[in-house]
Amino acid sequence: MQGKGLLVGLAVTLKHFFGKKETVQYPEEKIPMTEAFRGGKLLLDEKKCISCKLCAMACPNTALDLTVEIDENKKRHMKNYIHKAGRCLYCNFCVEACPVDALSWDKNYENSCYYRENLTYDAVENNRKDEKNG
Amino acid sequence: MIQTESYKLSMGPVHPSTHGVLQVWLTLDGERILRADPCMGYLHRGIEKLLEKRTYFQCLPYTDRLDYVSAMNNNLGYCSAVEKLAQIEVPKRAQYIRVIMAELNRIASHMIFIGSLAVDLGATTGMIYPFRDRERILDIFNELCGARMTYSYIRIGGVKSDLAVKVISMIDDFLAKLTDMIDEYNDLLTGNEIFQYRLKNTSILTAKQAMELGITGPMLRASGVSYDLRKDNTYCSYEDFDFSIPLGEKGDNWDRYIVRLKEMSESAKIIKQALAGLPTGEFMAKVPKVLKPPKGEVYDVTEGPRGEVGYHIVSDGSAKPYRVHIRRPSFINLQALDIMCRGYLVGDVVAAMSTIDPIMGEVDC
Amino acid sequence: MQGGLLVILTDKLFYGINYLSGNEFISQLIMVIVQIMAIFAVISLAAIIQVYMERRICGFIQDRLGPNRVGPWGLLQTVADMIKLMGKEDIIPVKAQRILWGITPMLLFIPAALIYAVFPFDDGAVFVDLNVGIFFVMAVMSQSVLMFLLGGFASENKYSFMGAMRAVAQMLSSEIPMAFAVLAVVMVSGSLKMTDIVAAQSNMWFIAVEPLAFIIFTISILMEINRTPFDLVEGESEIIAGPFTEYSGMRWALFFLAEYANLLSAAILTVTLFLGGWHGPVLPGILWFLIKVFLVIFLFMWIRWTYPRTRIDQMMALSWKVLLPLALFNIAATGIGIYIYNWM
Repeated sequence: MQGKGLLVGLAVTLKHFFGKKETVQYPEEKIPMTEAFRGGKLLLDEKKCISCKLCAMACPNTALDLTVEIDENKKRHMKNYIHKAGRCLYCNFCVEACPVDALSWDKNYENSCYYRENLTYDAVENNRKDEKNG
Repeated sequence: MIQTESYKLSMGPVHPSTHGVLQVWLTLDGERILRADPCMGYLHRGIEKLLEKRTYFQCLPYTDRLDYVSAMNNNLGYCSAVEKLAQIEVPKRAQYIRVIMAELNRIASHMIFIGSLAVDLGATTGMIYPFRDRERILDIFNELCGARMTYSYIRIGGVKSDLAVKVISMIDDFLAKLTDMIDEYNDLLTGNEIFQYRLKNTSILTAKQAMELGITGPMLRASGVSYDLRKDNTYCSYEDFDFSIPLGEKGDNWDRYIVRLKEMSESAKIIKQALAGLPTGEFMAKVPKVLKPPKGEVYDVTEGPRGEVGYHIVSDGSAKPYRVHIRRPSFINLQALDIMCRGYLVGDVVAAMSTIDPIMGEVDC
Repeated sequence: MQGGLLVILTDKLFYGINYLSGNEFISQLIMVIVQIMAIFAVISLAAIIQVYMERRICGFIQDRLGPNRVGPWGLLQTVADMIKLMGKEDIIPVKAQRILWGITPMLLFIPAALIYAVFPFDDGAVFVDLNVGIFFVMAVMSQSVLMFLLGGFASENKYSFMGAMRAVAQMLSSEIPMAFAVLAVVMVSGSLKMTDIVAAQSNMWFIAVEPLAFIIFTISILMEINRTPFDLVEGESEIIAGPFTEYSGMRWALFFLAEYANLLSAAILTVTLFLGGWHGPVLPGILWFLIKVFLVIFLFMWIRWTYPRTRIDQMMALSWKVLLPLALFNIAATGIGIYIYNWM
């Protein structure tokens, strides 16, 4: 009969009107990110890093800018590990390319910023800052 | 003396229902359409050119960004083309996982279709429900590979990671709920008389016209042509699964909607079978760290949610492709817009555009 | 006639003012101003409440919460929106016909507010009890189409003009079934006066006597006030916003306000004609009136957030080919019914 579908539709929406709500009250409530989540800043574990630059080689969009320095013991060090988030595709290739698992994501998804410069940051410098702050 | 004349109306590129940045030049006689010219290119990023400067592995994230609501299917298309070129044998388990993910993504993509069709016809609530349900699929993908839209999960030679137990239980959970979800769309939209009146007998595309234009995917099947690469040009062990291909009769908007709605349950069937018969073994073939396929070219097609996703790759023997051409189904399907709109009203243009279901990232490449 | 709660309050206020001023003419003048102010307050307050209601109902239907941040339970959200709209830049399209374009939003508000003069809110609480009340309502309500046409025409925008054309076509085709549906009610009650129509429903609401007329009236009033499934004039997925496309800021807010004033008047009209106006047991009349009005508004919103939009030709076909014959049939049936009733 004509019009039956209209009434069924109204019943569906009325059921939802009294139903459970899906809203997550964002700033107070946050959904935890999954284990595999790719996003936020790149974290570099300098103790593990062997400065092989494979991560920069794997990057499809040259989002990583690395400078390596060789110290007096002929050991290679990362001097700068610049991650340009503005260019990053978040494809995870760098993390997978790392032979010693020194790279990881910090899983922070609130990475909007006012200025373009703030998208670029240095993972090594970040570690220094963390050390200073304890 | 009263004189009537036709006028031109630019629908888009900034318009609520052009699915992104599509511009359609309408030639109108009052509200009746005399001609509709889709004008593309507002989202052109030169992906085909970008791929020439990247190694075969590095190309993968760019294919995510073509059809961004069904990235898995694009990954699959690219990877199978490269595998064909480099003659890599993909393990059975990887093939099954690929099938599961591609079909899940097909369901997600069809949910977007239902949602955008509903909102283009003015039913906002009809949009929210499918989008809410699609979120469940995105959660699965997020758990699986850490991204919600741009997965880069299907890799050359296999998949990125094995299926975790948690992911399998999430998929089972979703499939159990899918019937209820589809019932809800049926109650809210399919059964609704206004919805039926809007879609039935509008924007008819006959089988002959569709084949002449090279239309593929659900649009072609809605016109009554049984052509599905999953059956007709089997790839990725689709021959192991038992499923049917829903067909339309007339090729009107209604058929295009119903075909996609039915395809969702067919996809669910495939996923169930694949999960039940998931073979053990490797999920990744042995692929050299630097992939240098032999000189030559390859064209490989897979069935995406919108039609035939084809990759034509030319190799000159180096680590980077010499040329990649991508056959994007949305781009080709959009050519039918003019035929589908002529003689109908402005309200039908919106419905026709929705049932073509173009994704601008794919149209403009 | 014994007055309702509102009438008693007004009388008290009138005596108070009369006592202070000592001049009956002045105090009556003051009372008129107070009443006009009250109607304007009702309209603007109702718009604020309705926008909040709409967003909340929409949210709840769509498994969301809707606005819940500004003020307690988000009650001040609409106020915040209004302040934002007032602060917006006033953009006038270069090619627009400035004067026509500028006065349209204000003109639109006139018919929207004028209708409220004849609505009986409570026993005896009616601003002017015209003896052609319902006729006046129909006449004034159809005036708003002029403003839509004017706004769409003056914007010099094809989308606006298309919306304006749709508005004219839609209002013409909705007015006629609505008038015939109302005619059946008038035949039963035997008067065009709004208070008489309400008084005739003291024993039985007209929805029970004239169910067909109620359905026809509800559908055609939805067309009249451009609500989904007949929001073709606005039709945001087809013609962006119809006649309002070029309006922004406060001018657009006036359109918005008029739209909600129309929604409220549609609900009041439905309640007055079919749902017994302020009649109801135990509670005072004004409360019954408000409860019924908000239930009808809820119904309209519920419909809006469930249905898709019809197409322009389908809407016209519905009103000319289905609703109009049905309404004519209803009138004939009502006539025969009244004849039989009198004969018995």
